Amino acid sequence: MSFVVSTEHLSKRYGDTAVVNDLNLRIPEGCVYGFLGPNGSGKSTTMKMLLSLIRPSSGTIEIFGEPMSRHSRRRLLGSIGSLIESPPGYGHLTGAENMRVVQRLLGLSDQQIALAVDTVRLGKQMNKKVRNYSLGMKQRLGIAMALARQPRLLILDEPTNGLDPAGIDEIRQLLRRLADGGVTVMVSSHLLGEIDKTANMLGILSGGQMLFQGSREALFTASLPDLILSTPDPRHTRSLLNSAADAHIDGSAVRVSGLDSTGAAHLIRHLVNAGDEIYEARRDEQSLEDVFMHLTGGGEL
Amino acid sequence: MKASALAAELTKTRRLRTGLMTLALAVAVTGLTIASAATSPAFSSPQDSWSALLAGIGLAFPVCSPLLLAVLASRQVDIEHQSNGWIFAQTSRVTPGALCRLKLLTTGPGVGLATITASLLVLAFGLLAGDGGAPPWGLWVGYTLCVLAVNLVVLGLHILLAARIQNQLVGLGIGVLGTLFGVFASAMPAAIAHITPWGYYSLVAVAEYQGEELMLQRPAVVSIAALAALAALGFTAVTTFFDHKEA
Repeated sequence: MSFVVSTEHLSKRYGDTAVVNDLNLRIPEGCVYGFLGPNGSGKSTTMKMLLSLIRPSSGTIEIFGEPMSRHSRRRLLGSIGSLIESPPGYGHLTGAENMRVVQRLLGLSDQQIALAVDTVRLGKQMNKKVRNYSLGMKQRLGIAMALARQPRLLILDEPTNGLDPAGIDEIRQLLRRLADGGVTVMVSSHLLGEIDKTANMLGILSGGQMLFQGSREALFTASLPDLILSTPDPRHTRSLLNSAADAHIDGSAVRVSGLDSTGAAHLIRHLVNAGDEIYEARRDEQSLEDVFMHLTGGGEL
Repeated sequence: MKASALAAELTKTRRLRTGLMTLALAVAVTGLTIASAATSPAFSSPQDSWSALLAGIGLAFPVCSPLLLAVLASRQVDIEHQSNGWIFAQTSRVTPGALCRLKLLTTGPGVGLATITASLLVLAFGLLAGDGGAPPWGLWVGYTLCVLAVNLVVLGLHILLAARIQNQLVGLGIGVLGTLFGVFASAMPAAIAHITPWGYYSLVAVAEYQGEELMLQRPAVVSIAALAALAALGFTAVTTFFDHKEA
């Protein structure tokens, strides 16, 4: 698998405090990489290191297979769009004038600018001063400014911050469209719900350390959901299970935790052999948030 | 420095009223000089007519420049603070130091033009309304060039201050103090006037009252040259430091 971004033992320390510690990021090409973690977990610092805005204390960064250094920085940044901290956009200028700043700064064509504006669907608002934009429009303009250079990699730091649900959904759709178009997107958030269903790769950061990195499916697998057994008499079913099973009655069902597929098959066979009637055996539906809470020990990150 | 970055910087100056402020500098200096000359008895005396105008312009620049230059620099730089422009520029391959240098490049010519325009307008007034014969060309050109250098040094300093300190009131406050220092530096010993850039407004003055007599003198060219060289070095050093500072 080719990685657009990979880091080896990346760390950033301020004095004795490690803000990012021994991070080994792997971002595959063409994915939406959800970079999750609470405020202060080191997401923005990591993203700034990827963009060479701050220097790592130790470790290495490779972007497009090339080491990010002072020498390669200028060239690599030409293929990286980003939105860090808050959306850029000069309030005294209109959206179109802001895009002209980008166009002149990066020597882009009219076509590239038009394409970026179309992508974020901001065409009708371009003659309005940015100070009169809503937050969602500012975010979209910021993304258009990042997209104008037609980047291979887009790094977005909490792009949904402060947006209402409609705005969040709009950004989600935009990220999906970009990934479909072949752009690798790295997007950070401290809210799971904003990333859930958009990202196909996830990295979970806590206290500067990576807790999990992999596909969404792998994350669900890493945290086994409970097995829920619907039976006519849950008390009887519970009594048939040996004391080693972590099972408890949950309404009209029995909930068994910590069983993998083999364990689940064994348990069901045991109950059937014991003459118990099982109406239904299913895995509990869990959101990414449940998994996240489980993984981080109750969400105390 | 790339022309594309300069073009982008010029695009940003739209609606910042940079032209209006540089015009205000030229008009204020000219108006104050003419007003002071018109009320000075020396202006009506043929031998002191030009001296009166030079004394007037020597006072008008320190009164008008420091605050207007502080406002001008603040408006150019504050837009970067307000719009996350520093990080955007960095990710667009323009370092913070380079951005400051661009701002001096885009604002400096306007300040230069305002300074020269004010000088020419006062000169024109002297030729039209004065009765002092031929102007002292050498002193006039020398003063104009020297005060232009001081204005650019003060502008550069305010650009750096505005970039370093987000609260723009600090820069404006320093501009007010600069005005006071610039105006009263002529009453201070020359050594003290050398300490701050604003003190150099008194060192470039080519006409001043000694007792009741209006005397002409050469501007302190060596001091101004030293200031310009030191300021150029300092500006380069500070902007290079900005380039290496982490976001």
